[in-house]
Amino acid sequence: MSQGGEVLLAASEVAKTFGGLKAVDAVSLSLKSGIITTLVGPNGAGKTTLFNLMTGHLPPDRGEVTWLGKSIVGLPHWKIARLGIGRSFQDLKLFANMTVAENIETVTERGSWLWQPGGRAAQKARRDKVEATLAATGLGDKRNARAVDLAYAERKFLSLARIMASGARLWLLDEPASGLDPGSYQSFLSLLRRQVREGVTICIIEHNLDIVQGISDRIAFLDQGRLLAEGDPKTILSDPALAAIYFGERAV
Amino acid sequence: MLLLQLLINGLQLGAIYALTAVGFSLIFGATKIFHVAHGAAFTIAAYLFWWTNAVLGLSWLLAAALAVAAAVAFGLCMERCVYRPIQRHEGAFFTVFIAAFGVQIIVQNLIGTVFGRGFVSVTTPLSHSIQVLPGLFVAPVAALAIVVAVIGFSALTNYLSRTHTGMAMRALSENPDLIRVFGLDPGRVAQYAFAIGSAIVVPGAIFTAMTAGLNPAVGAHVMLISLAATIVGGIGSLRGAAYGGLLLGLAENLALWRLDPQWSEAVTFVVLFLFIIFRPAGFFGRPHAAK
Amino acid sequence: MWAYIINLAVLISINAILAITLNFILGYAGIFSIAHALFFGVGAYTATFFAMKFAAGFLSATAAGMALAALISLALALPALRVRGEYFVAASLGLQMLAVTVFTEWKSVTGGIGGLTNIPPARLFGFAVTQPEHFLLLSLACLALIILVIRALVRSSFGRSLKAIRDDETAAWAYGKNVAVIKTTAVVVSSALAAVAGSLYAFYLSFINVESFVLDTSIQVMAMVIIGGTATLLGPVIGSVLILLLPAGLSYLPYLPVTEIGSIQQIIYGGAMVLLMIYRPGGLWGFQDTPPSRKGGAT
Repeated sequence: MSQGGEVLLAASEVAKTFGGLKAVDAVSLSLKSGIITTLVGPNGAGKTTLFNLMTGHLPPDRGEVTWLGKSIVGLPHWKIARLGIGRSFQDLKLFANMTVAENIETVTERGSWLWQPGGRAAQKARRDKVEATLAATGLGDKRNARAVDLAYAERKFLSLARIMASGARLWLLDEPASGLDPGSYQSFLSLLRRQVREGVTICIIEHNLDIVQGISDRIAFLDQGRLLAEGDPKTILSDPALAAIYFGERAV
Repeated sequence: MLLLQLLINGLQLGAIYALTAVGFSLIFGATKIFHVAHGAAFTIAAYLFWWTNAVLGLSWLLAAALAVAAAVAFGLCMERCVYRPIQRHEGAFFTVFIAAFGVQIIVQNLIGTVFGRGFVSVTTPLSHSIQVLPGLFVAPVAALAIVVAVIGFSALTNYLSRTHTGMAMRALSENPDLIRVFGLDPGRVAQYAFAIGSAIVVPGAIFTAMTAGLNPAVGAHVMLISLAATIVGGIGSLRGAAYGGLLLGLAENLALWRLDPQWSEAVTFVVLFLFIIFRPAGFFGRPHAAK
Repeated sequence: MWAYIINLAVLISINAILAITLNFILGYAGIFSIAHALFFGVGAYTATFFAMKFAAGFLSATAAGMALAALISLALALPALRVRGEYFVAASLGLQMLAVTVFTEWKSVTGGIGGLTNIPPARLFGFAVTQPEHFLLLSLACLALIILVIRALVRSSFGRSLKAIRDDETAAWAYGKNVAVIKTTAVVVSSALAAVAGSLYAFYLSFINVESFVLDTSIQVMAMVIIGGTATLLGPVIGSVLILLLPAGLSYLPYLPVTEIGSIQQIIYGGAMVLLMIYRPGGLWGFQDTPPSRKGGAT
């Protein structure tokens, strides 16, 4: 399990309060390139909110978020996405009425005008990318199906396909594999590992401890909006205090 | 003196708008349904009151009771027969909005066909203006409207903070998922919301019948104002909707101080626009709720 | 009889333009606007103004109308698209009502309630289009052109971005789409093209007044889009045919009082809208089940 390279996305003392609730409380987290970081913690710990803060979906009340060292707080969400930060959602947010191919295609299109820059060559590159993505996620023969008509596992893969096709350097995945059957699970994970070998950095919010153990290079443990621990999987997973918090919640 | 007169007229109108806006806001808050047929409840109540009281000669109490019954029935029927089936399959904003719009069109035209398109009104001693000061005419109706609005609003607030269903409604508007956690049935709460939200327009409907008079388009006009008031006041805030309605009623009348009558409706929309541009969250709305 | 059909065909083509352009933002982008009639009116009044004051030909008069409509729609879209969809409806409603007051009161330009008469015929490349048959050709040509433009837009990356925004705006943001700019552009395009219909209308009837540009008209165009089918190219055309044939159809029923035909029409399409939303939200020609959903995807 490597320690990772340069810091890509870093949150520094970010905080967000909703009404009276401190959803995220002075969290500092650095995502280093080339590795898979897992974000764990009980439900309501603030993991998704942290993602929202780091991608510009929500402005932080306090704190700093930087990409490759430069501050991105205040940048609109779409600009942050174009920097190379991709994100998937717990409820997928697929483009329901568009076909699988269109879902992937639209993500490859930088800018949204009648004609894309780069002419024929760029168009071919995009088409190849769509094909490659369809193949990698096994959605090739569903390319013309509407997203809303897909089966559960297929939708999960489509959500991944979108991020893949966007060419993002850092992927923030929110429970991407939850509810998948074991077979799909394994192909999902090997897909992720392959992407990391090809240079992608991943941060996953995950509940399933088997996955967490299986793929994490680093783990960050959140509870009630605070970062309780961060480090290598062995240490974190064998910490009895953390286990108590995690399983205590689970037992309820 | 003209200014004072306009102020009083504005308060009277504002009271009517406030009640109707609160009804709309209550329904939207508790059910997330953009009930653009709300104006139809107003029209139905108003016309029923007029017809039973001025035409059939029933006592105003009985007429008012019938109006309330009709408004509530309408609200419940919309919830049960139109919104619920739609929400069963996916209940997108689009679908709900269009359906409500369709109902509004139907009601407006039916009433026009049955009762005619001209202005009708109810004359009562209450609507006769008394010269209170030189140049200042106030009808008892004005005071009554304001009093009723205040009473109605505080009754509603009490209901929402004291009773079980009331609190459920408030919970729903904060977080729809909470509802199931508390073991409440969203359908029941929705029905209460529609019933109360529709009933609360009745005083305003009656007062309008007594003062400005009615025509089939009155519901649409009131609907517009409710919508504007809800936004100006802040989505999710009943207090805001009430103040929004008051503000718009005042604005509409105070505009007459300097502008011709045909521009008074335009003033409402300028106010709405200004809020959308500068403060989309409205008076009391949460800023992030505006996105 | 022949004249009657040609007349109907011209009106259908003009309304089809309105329906198609509204569908562009309603069906493809999920933007609710009840202000379409106002852009129709802006196109009509501007084209008339340029034709009467500057003896402008059809093309320049229409271009002027399109430019003004585009400008006004920017004024609507820039503030109102930044916020929730419900706000945009309210803002468009407000603007529509405001516009009617302006149309009625600005007598020097719009002729007030009386309207403008004696509008000169459309002149195209030196040729004055006076015959109804020729006008039909002109309106059909405009319709065809607009259909091609919308089709090209819908099939392009712009169209895909629009649909993505309609299906899930949050995801669209997350995948690098500048949602605000895209939506604004869509509204501007839609409004500018609606103005073309206005110009055609003014030149065809040689008379316009505010009655044609009121809220009811916006609602009627919306009904055409909803009933015909959203997010399809053909749907709005079908919708406009159906809705325009309705009064003709109704007039054949002997026992309907003539004064009530307007109301009955409205009741019919109000009813159609309600029933369709409950049973077939995609409209007659559209998707079977899922119309543009603001929630998008799984719940």
